[in-house]
Amino acid sequence: MRYPCIEIASKKVFEKIGLKAVDLPSYSCCPEPVVSRLLDRIASLSISTRNLAIAEELGSDLITLCNGCYETLFEADFDLKHNSEELQKVNNILRQYRKSYHGTVQVKHVVEVLHEDIGIKRLEQQVVKPQKIRVALQYGCHLHREPEGEDIMRKPNMMRELTKITGAELVDYGLEKLCCGYPSMHADEEFSLKNRLLPKLKRIEQAGADAVVLSCPACMIQFEMGQTLLRKFGFDYKIPCVHIMELLALSLGVPPRDLYLVFHRIPPVRLILMQE
Amino acid sequence: MQIENEIIQYMKQELDSDFIDAAIPRERRVSIKIRPMVLRKAVDALKKRYSTLRFITITTVDHGLDFEFLHHFQVNETVLTLRSIKPKEDNTLESIVDLIPAANFIEREIADLFGVKILGHPQMQYLILTKDWPDNERPLRESFEGDLPPQARPVAEALISTSCVAPVSALIQRRREEAGLPRTPPFAFTDERALKEFHELIKNTNLDEKVGFDWEKKRLRYK
Repeated sequence: MRYPCIEIASKKVFEKIGLKAVDLPSYSCCPEPVVSRLLDRIASLSISTRNLAIAEELGSDLITLCNGCYETLFEADFDLKHNSEELQKVNNILRQYRKSYHGTVQVKHVVEVLHEDIGIKRLEQQVVKPQKIRVALQYGCHLHREPEGEDIMRKPNMMRELTKITGAELVDYGLEKLCCGYPSMHADEEFSLKNRLLPKLKRIEQAGADAVVLSCPACMIQFEMGQTLLRKFGFDYKIPCVHIMELLALSLGVPPRDLYLVFHRIPPVRLILMQE
Repeated sequence: MQIENEIIQYMKQELDSDFIDAAIPRERRVSIKIRPMVLRKAVDALKKRYSTLRFITITTVDHGLDFEFLHHFQVNETVLTLRSIKPKEDNTLESIVDLIPAANFIEREIADLFGVKILGHPQMQYLILTKDWPDNERPLRESFEGDLPPQARPVAEALISTSCVAPVSALIQRRREEAGLPRTPPFAFTDERALKEFHELIKNTNLDEKVGFDWEKKRLRYK
């Protein structure tokens, strides 16, 4: 919502690779996990299930471009598929609006769709403009979510492979798995900035990365806005940030001007100039 | 459970849609939730039906945003509680002293300790507090606060009122248009019918009550 550029890039990538994706009509917030899930489980689950039911009506699976949306919808779907009593309770509420959910939707993060359903090789073949930059990755906490505690690096590793095929050089900085601090901004801004974001930025800069590649718009807000907010504490960082879909779009040959990268708080113009 | 069920059926009939629900938590114990505006009607109906009706007391619970009033009675060997909840913005309770004179002191105690205005009480003056007690300090009154911490309030307000926690600002809408996208994605708030459905869902799951959302003002009842 706050980053139309991620939506634009995703649509361009889907177009290039022939993936048919439609916006979910009349959907609502997934809902936002930090506040709503703590308040009322059934209310939160009903909101998620309404979204799942809309996708089911369309006969579609659900792709998310955001880790938070992914986790909320994935967990709702998982719980409903494993708890028939809860499913019945939520469906009893939804039936009043002539909706119900039967558990036929698969919820996937976009990195899974690209890696598993499209395939690295197929994507690699379409790369026409390798990105000659050094990037640090921000997986985002919720990308580690797996159904029952299996390999929590499954999706982060997919993100690594996707980044590599864009031509970008991966720069490991050791704090990839540390939270960016977005959720704790609700509670304590200074703590969040100084104890979550700042250590990451320091390491990323020391590692010599030109940019941060992210898979979550919430992390993007934290990285971009957080760098601005850190100035009042005497820390001056201007590390550009791009979503994995923007990086892919660039490598697939989408002209930078068509991606409206100026929508970023720290426009990654420097990265584009490096390619010229 | 004969008498318990009989009381419930009778009150249901008397109060019609103002009877909200009832519970029999154990033998000889009945709790009936009613709309606050029919409290006196409910007490009057009990008096007319049960000649052995005995008033026990009134309990007041301060829930932060609302007051819950529990009027306890005895019908033969069964204890009956009438539960009514009023928003604290209202800050009143209708007196039942003309129907039940024994309620006189407890209503004054509620007024003293919680600062609730008792409407129609014949002798409203401090009972427990000293005569010079300041009007704005009530020993058992909690501050007007809901469950949400301040940082979470804008998120809950935006979610409930618009179905979206990150409303699309005019600037973003303009930028989206410049980029050839619709002004907003097809969120529920772009479709009147879908937004109504979403709001009904919130009401149905009582999320609005839980967070203290004011539908008229489209914001939380507390800042």
